Amino acid sequence: MTHPATFGELLEQHEREIFAYALRLVGDRDDADDVYQDTFLAAFRAWPPPRRGNERAWLYKIATNKAIDRGRRAKRFVRLGDLPLAAPERDGVSLADLATAVKALPTGQRAAFVLRKVQGLSYAEVSVALECSEDAARSRVAEAMKKVKEAMR
Amino acid sequence: MSELDVVVADARERLVRRARREGLETVGYRVVDSPLGPLWVAVGPRGLLNIHYGAEPSPLELRRIVRAYGPGVLPDARRVDDVARELDQYWSGKRRDFDITVDLSPLTPFQRKVLAATARVPYGELITYAKVAHNVGNDRAYRAAAGAIGDNPIPIVVPCHRVVASDGTLGGYAGGLDAKRRLLQLERGAVPPGGWQPAHLSRS
Repeated sequence: MTHPATFGELLEQHEREIFAYALRLVGDRDDADDVYQDTFLAAFRAWPPPRRGNERAWLYKIATNKAIDRGRRAKRFVRLGDLPLAAPERDGVSLADLATAVKALPTGQRAAFVLRKVQGLSYAEVSVALECSEDAARSRVAEAMKKVKEAMR
Repeated sequence: MSELDVVVADARERLVRRARREGLETVGYRVVDSPLGPLWVAVGPRGLLNIHYGAEPSPLELRRIVRAYGPGVLPDARRVDDVARELDQYWSGKRRDFDITVDLSPLTPFQRKVLAATARVPYGELITYAKVAHNVGNDRAYRAAAGAIGDNPIPIVVPCHRVVASDGTLGGYAGGLDAKRRLLQLERGAVPPGGWQPAHLSRS
């Protein structure tokens, strides 16, 4: 992926995955739209990205914080009706089951799980996005996986 | 287009509006279809900044735009609507002059002077590089003038295709000589073999 010379390039490269990520985190299309707006406006204001080649993790970090902020201010209950937009059903696992299991995770674990298992970020990128060490990122994902598996049994 | 694409496109439109409302300087771009292939078109706060042959921007132009207006160069279809409409009218032969404002401010004063002289060449007429240099008051700056014309960030609208070599041959063109030939065909009819002879050139 090329290094973005402008904010528009960054937007075009990453807006779909950031929107999908927001949707997975907040579970509601309108809230996801707000997280998308907040994330990219913050990125625009903070331009340029702090480190070359790390733009993606940087955006995920902003999006995670925006989603958490919004979650604090808003209702605890999240509607996952819009999830099919972002995640195709696969391997006979009911999307509703998975959604319920993911929804039940604490915010930090949910973000770690979605970043690693759904968005496909590396552990190094997850650690940047969640502002924690790589080890902490691994253990959060592992913990989340354990809970999701238990819930899916 | 997937449902996600539609939802994101919608969100992006709101983002662009919000950025402008919040005073963040933006330049909007979109790719416009033309008989000469896709054109990358950018419009800034002061007018049309760039038309580039191809679906991607030129890195040089992009750097120039970012230097002038910052990194807020965003996909923004609406911002380009007026330019796209005037270009369509031009291609269909219904428009001879463009009414859109052009923004040459990211260029050097010399480049601006040369392109302003180029912009005064009427539809269907031709001028030589040497004559443009003369018109900007510097006969000896023939090569520099040719360089500025070759570097024109707003081809078609600033009609550098109307500038040809002193022997009547086409000279060069950023979009390729075939594009230059087709633009001149649109405006003047068929190009004679070997180009136009100097006798046919405009004395303006």
